[in-house]
Amino acid sequence: MTLSLSGLSKSFGTTRVLRDVTLEVPEGTRIALVGSSGSGKSTLLRLIAGFERPDAGTIALGDRELAGPRSTVPAHRRGIGYVAQDGALFPHLSVARNIAFGMPRGARHVARVHELMELASLDQTLADRMPHELSGGQQQRVALARALTQQPKVILLDEPFSALDTGLRAQTRQAVVDMLERSGVTAMLVTHDRDEALSFGQQVGVLAGGRLVQAGAPTGVFDAPIDVRVAEFLGDVMLVSARSAGTDAVDCAFGRLPVRHDRSGGAARVRAMVRPEQVRLAPAVDGGNATVVSIRSTGAGADLTLRFGGGSFPAEATHRVPLHAAARFQAGCQVQITVDGGVVLYPRHE
Amino acid sequence: MLALGALVPIGFVLQAAIAMGWDELSALVFRPKVGELLVNTVSLVVIGVPASAVLGVGGAWLVERTALPGRRLFAVAFAAPLAIPAFVASYGWASAVPSISGLWGGVLVAVTAYFPLVYLPALAAIRGLDPGLEESARSLGMGSVAVFFRVVLPQLRLAVLGGGLVVALHLLAEYGAFAFLRFDTFTTAIVVAYQATFAGPNAAALGLVLLLLCFALLTVESLARGNARYARVGGGSPHPPVRLPLGRLAPLAVFGAVCVVAASTIVPLASVVRWLFRADATDLGALASATGQTLALSLAGAVCAIAVALAFAWLSVRYPGRLSRLLEGAAFLTSSLPAIIVALALVATTLAFAPGLYQTAFTVIAAYVVIFLPRALVPLRAGLAQVPESLEEAARSLGIAPLLARLRVTVPLLVPAVCAGGALVALGAANELTATLLLAPTGTRTVATSFWSAASSLDYPTAAPYAIVLVLLSCPAVALMFAHATGRNLR
Amino acid sequence: MLPRSRLALLAPVTIGALLLAGCTAVGSGAEDSSTSDDALVVYNAQHEELTAEWADAFTEQTGIEVVLRNGDDSELGNQLVQEGSASKADVFLTENSPAMSLVEQAGLLAPVDEATLALVPEQYRPVSGEWTGIAARSTVLVYNPELISEAELPASLLDLAEPEWKGRWGAAPAKADFQAIVSAVVETQGEHGAREWLEGMATNATEYRNNIVTMKAVNAGEVPVGIIYHYYWYRDQDRAAEDSGNTKLHYFGNQDPGAFVSVSGGGVLKNAPHADEAQQFLAFINGEQGQKILGDGYSFEYPVASGVAAKSELPPLDGLNAPAIDPSTLNGPKVIELMTEAGLL
Repeated sequence: MTLSLSGLSKSFGTTRVLRDVTLEVPEGTRIALVGSSGSGKSTLLRLIAGFERPDAGTIALGDRELAGPRSTVPAHRRGIGYVAQDGALFPHLSVARNIAFGMPRGARHVARVHELMELASLDQTLADRMPHELSGGQQQRVALARALTQQPKVILLDEPFSALDTGLRAQTRQAVVDMLERSGVTAMLVTHDRDEALSFGQQVGVLAGGRLVQAGAPTGVFDAPIDVRVAEFLGDVMLVSARSAGTDAVDCAFGRLPVRHDRSGGAARVRAMVRPEQVRLAPAVDGGNATVVSIRSTGAGADLTLRFGGGSFPAEATHRVPLHAAARFQAGCQVQITVDGGVVLYPRHE
Repeated sequence: MLALGALVPIGFVLQAAIAMGWDELSALVFRPKVGELLVNTVSLVVIGVPASAVLGVGGAWLVERTALPGRRLFAVAFAAPLAIPAFVASYGWASAVPSISGLWGGVLVAVTAYFPLVYLPALAAIRGLDPGLEESARSLGMGSVAVFFRVVLPQLRLAVLGGGLVVALHLLAEYGAFAFLRFDTFTTAIVVAYQATFAGPNAAALGLVLLLLCFALLTVESLARGNARYARVGGGSPHPPVRLPLGRLAPLAVFGAVCVVAASTIVPLASVVRWLFRADATDLGALASATGQTLALSLAGAVCAIAVALAFAWLSVRYPGRLSRLLEGAAFLTSSLPAIIVALALVATTLAFAPGLYQTAFTVIAAYVVIFLPRALVPLRAGLAQVPESLEEAARSLGIAPLLARLRVTVPLLVPAVCAGGALVALGAANELTATLLLAPTGTRTVATSFWSAASSLDYPTAAPYAIVLVLLSCPAVALMFAHATGRNLR
Repeated sequence: MLPRSRLALLAPVTIGALLLAGCTAVGSGAEDSSTSDDALVVYNAQHEELTAEWADAFTEQTGIEVVLRNGDDSELGNQLVQEGSASKADVFLTENSPAMSLVEQAGLLAPVDEATLALVPEQYRPVSGEWTGIAARSTVLVYNPELISEAELPASLLDLAEPEWKGRWGAAPAKADFQAIVSAVVETQGEHGAREWLEGMATNATEYRNNIVTMKAVNAGEVPVGIIYHYYWYRDQDRAAEDSGNTKLHYFGNQDPGAFVSVSGGGVLKNAPHADEAQQFLAFINGEQGQKILGDGYSFEYPVASGVAAKSELPPLDGLNAPAIDPSTLNGPKVIELMTEAGLL
């Protein structure tokens, strides 16, 4: 069953938190919603879970309308699982009893709890522990296992990894993705972490100012962000002024480069976006096309401030090089910049 | 409905004042006697509250943040005065030092009896503070004294304000302790007026002035509190704090602590025990029956007050707004009135609207609920604020209906707060005098009223066993409160 | 301090116990009140010990249970007035007559049985016959001979309002006992004279909580003299004289307001649920056995009925030369008003 959101809007007082959000999540797929804090992403989850009512628009699961102008299904009848930021484990219940919480009275079988703990890669010895005796990652996995007891059609995850340490975070994320994969449930994750968003599932959606700005396959969205904001949100960028040079190429501070995607909408003045991963830097044998203005060590490498372009496209940008390469550059030396692949064009507003 | 109950005593005072007419009222209010009472009462609050705050915060800081020798013992001893009703402490002092009287006598007895009401919240707040803050302040070059005043104390503001308010309200409403000391406050004068005229105009006029005083006090506290709420303080200390070595000051600190314990606990108790040995044969049957009745009434009062307070707390935490604040204000205002006013109001109300309930256990319990509601409300509200709403949401997303979710998740988590609040109410009800005397079914004798009738005729030996029973009855409640203040949350 | 988990475990148990106790408590409370429905309800402003003695003897003789609601004269009198016909009271006993007059004037009393009235000489009961005297007490001045010689004692209670007595005497103006004495001042000196005297008192007197505390203060040398009723002193002398050993009594006599003899009253409520038993109780108190409890017991109050003699230590009641005052004329509310005006209340 497909989760369909259509024209969802929500205000708290005079603050408009969500505006006209429309989105489809096909059955069994995963989508990550990314946005800065205040972008409305948590509110969207709470609308879907049924903790808040939308002001306008509908939420449907397959043919069943969960919320709309005519009807609202209460949270506990939606069959939608929800994992809160801190896991929201019941502090007075053991792990096993937390997991068994939502099971019908007759069916609180030890076997089912074990099965879910296994699914969540939780050691069986943890069953009798209290929540405060668990690590953050374990708490999250218990919360997910608990949400799965209802065999929900959809699971909503509200920044479940944000409280975890970096190492634990990647590991827990992978465990959760595997678990969702195995259970075949439709999942929606809310996060402000770009790596998490891009690696989570089949779709990624970017929320900004209460609007769903762009949604689609992670590679597509990363490769062709709809605007500079989305581009900056999903990765580091280098932006330079550019001028059209025929249909598929531009002139800019890097020289003449092909255009991969044109998002300028035919604007007269444009900017070219390049990801640092596309850039290669080498000490110039003779001349070169850029000057190293300064070098700052980052320990694991160095940040070079480069001045390049000159003439009609003066530009300055910072580029990071790894440690093994850093020694090859000194302040004042000439370097050669090359860019692999093309650029993405955006309109330039002055 | 519940809110109306809390408003009955206020309405009673206002109605009596209006019925009197301005001329009679002003004649009763603007007279030298009232001025004298005002000076006494205000001096008591102005001296008593800061003194309690200093003792309470100082004590909490000494046992929690310094290497005070015997600090574990002192930590308990500073809470112990709560188990000794103020009028028993007053009786102890008055029978040990008969010349003790007047304002300074009142301040001595009241402060030593009530400072734990600041000490316990301050202790809980200090334990909740992150020692990291104090450490960073120290690393910024502040000395211990500066750290205390500039880092610790500001963070205790809410706890101290809340405790100070409770002390102030107790000072305003206390009767028994001051009656022993020949110290006249509005409340003692109201009781005297009641003895002379029952629900006469004088009692109502004095009640009106007291009502205005309480209102002023609540306003001052609310202004001082600003927008801050009494929410949970911190998540507890991730690592134990480094205790400040007292060095050469240690003997001085121990001496001070011993003095406080002596004045608040040892003197009253020793004096009670001394009289106990001089008691003729105690009528154990009467003592047992009074104990039974006290337990029954105070526990029933605690259960009912908790039930009502739950509804209030729910409203104020989950649906904060003007209405809920108004209701809470009314509850605090009413509870700060002397019990005698509440009792008179209930007499008038039951006689007029429900004569069947007059002089039944129901009315006494209703009075306990009205008088002690805030005692239950404060811990419950704090407890409820600590239960994140996300837990109930989690339960609902697991297919549990909202009401059931509340019952299975929030209610169990509130149990410690319920116990602490219930203990406070039961403690207050067990020590309550005037409302019990006036409202209870004829023939009811609680430990407190029996103690009072013996102690009033200076029959100290007969009173002593009752005083001991009162103290013993209070101990479990105080232990529960102490555990609540020092224990962490379940989580 | 308990560990958290243990505390969490303890909590539900405690709350369960609390609930259970509460429920049984309310249950048993209801039972208590149902048994007391059959008992005679006495609103008792007399000394609790005295009335308890009467009640026990009465129960022994008749099998009728008695429960007491204790309080002060004015408190219980005014309470009866406020309760009106809703009152559960059968009998009202006072220490002084003004509170009884208050209830009588509210029309709440039933006539006392003729036979009971016949036991009491006329000067100790009102003409109306709606209540009867049950005991009497005399005003006295207690003094500490170490602080004041007998010669310096005032000739009249009224002298105590003079400037030379400033800070030198004590009394318990908040109590009905003293208010009855004031009513005698009102009766003998008129309202104007009484007002002046009360103003003098407000300046001069040290206020104590009750007669015992006043006597104790004189005994301890806090003030040289105090105005109390006689029996507190005799009672203490009879025990160990702990609170009166250093003091002596002075009777004003001479029909001075300070020689006022106050009549304690007993009455039956018009709406008494147990009217017959109530009349029986009054008859018992004023009968020989009841009055002998006064004459022989610990009380030291004067018997007034059935010709029973007072304790031998006491000066005879008719030799006190008290002012002749009809007990039913004493005006309680007027006294309260005057004392409030003077700032004594």
